[in-house]
Amino acid sequence: MSLLAVDNLRVTFPSDQGPVEVVRGLSFALGRERLGIVGESGSGKSMTGRAIMGLIGAPARVTADRLEFEGRDLRNLPEREFRKLRGARMSMVLQDPKFSLNPVIRIGDQIAEALEFHTQLSASARRARVLEALEAVRIDDPERVARLYPHEVSGGMGQRVMIAMMVVMQPALMIADEPTSALDVSVRGQVLDIMDDLVRRRGMGLLLISHDLNMVARWCDRILVMYRGQIVEELGAGALNAAQHPYTRGLLASLPKLNEERATLPILDRSALDGFMAGTAR
Amino acid sequence: MIDVQNLTVRYGDTTVLHGVSLAVAEGESFALVGESGSGKSTILKALVGQVDDWQGQMTLAGHALQPGRRADLARQVQMVFQDPYGSLHPRRTVDDTLAEPLAIHGIKGRDARVLAMLDAVGLPRRFRFRLPHQLSGGQRQRVAIARALMLEPRVLLLDEPTSALDVSVQAEILNLLKGLRAEKGLTFLLVTHDLPVVSFLCDRLAVLRAGRVEEAAAVATLRAAGLRSGYGRELLERSGLV
Repeated sequence: MSLLAVDNLRVTFPSDQGPVEVVRGLSFALGRERLGIVGESGSGKSMTGRAIMGLIGAPARVTADRLEFEGRDLRNLPEREFRKLRGARMSMVLQDPKFSLNPVIRIGDQIAEALEFHTQLSASARRARVLEALEAVRIDDPERVARLYPHEVSGGMGQRVMIAMMVVMQPALMIADEPTSALDVSVRGQVLDIMDDLVRRRGMGLLLISHDLNMVARWCDRILVMYRGQIVEELGAGALNAAQHPYTRGLLASLPKLNEERATLPILDRSALDGFMAGTAR
Repeated sequence: MIDVQNLTVRYGDTTVLHGVSLAVAEGESFALVGESGSGKSTILKALVGQVDDWQGQMTLAGHALQPGRRADLARQVQMVFQDPYGSLHPRRTVDDTLAEPLAIHGIKGRDARVLAMLDAVGLPRRFRFRLPHQLSGGQRQRVAIARALMLEPRVLLLDEPTSALDVSVQAEILNLLKGLRAEKGLTFLLVTHDLPVVSFLCDRLAVLRAGRVEEAAAVATLRAAGLRSGYGRELLERSGLV
């Protein structure tokens, strides 16, 4: 049984011009693996992550033929039940630690919040778990860092704190939405390493949402490429160069290379692409 | 065109630039590469007079700069910022944004100049009276570039001009910048952490770390992944390109 099964997921927003579908019939299954979802702004990749977490509220509508997590049907799951899952069995890492951490709560207390909500642990047991989680994300001096406020740590450290917060409950599924795009190149590697390590050691499923094709190709077992709310292509790890779909190929071609000799970069021909999509739909 | 000698900048007790020297010839495109906090943006800020307290010598388009004095160089040097969502006034139309520098400098023929600039940066003329929120990220960055070019400067300072944009849009903006440089004979000083962008757009680069130039190299060296300094190599490896 897969960890997460999604069949024909749709997210619709109302607008003056009638309903707009931002996720259009997405289907995939996730096991204990690293699955990447790649796409540009507006492709619906973040909405997919949020829909799974049950974070899309009115006026948007989420529908699916199947949306199962650990065998539980998430469709029409009451909010009270969802809250027991979120942070405990499934959790989400967001892009920017600067905006995702509460600036007036000490880091240790923020991490402990999930434990307080989901478990009956004593204060000292909670504290031990917090320090353990900080160690798991390779923070050398967890006692000191737990006492700090978010503004006292760097971006990379902040993102590790976010991950610690997510793993303190040892969830089965982690959804990471652009976890490294606000970080410097040098710390990106570390943060990805840590997530990778957690996936392997704890047997978590990871859904990595990003716009960075190369990064996802290097770190994930499988990649789904999204365009305009649909999966246009599925690729195996390292098989980026085998991409067939004109969108994926167009994206790859438009990336400058380290030994760039081209005078101009090819540009995605969106109208041709939409023609192609209309031709293959149905 | 740009000559920086021994530039030292301190913010309070912290020294952010330790005697940085670099020279950019007219028509050249030069990149400053490094991580956050390496001081690359501070060099740009110092050049446009946004840093009051600095030591060393700086010459820009033939004018020697003085610490604490803001040289009147708007017609020589302009800057394009990273985030086109933050750098445009949300309640001014494209037309307002582009015409303002002309009004300030008393330049006539605004109407024709605005239209010509829209054409030059590849924005359809019907966008002229739109507000920033009615434009996409790439279109906004085109407006920001157009605004920088309205006074026909000779030097453009580019602070991460494409890192907030989607990959496919980045390609369009990079092509635009490259084309404009060739067409107008502009000098570029580009700040970025993206080595492939340097490879596409620049002639030379300097690798900065902790306020010091670790290495200066021609772009051919970068293309051959031949950066020598330890830190240069580290950047290459961390970018996953070697």
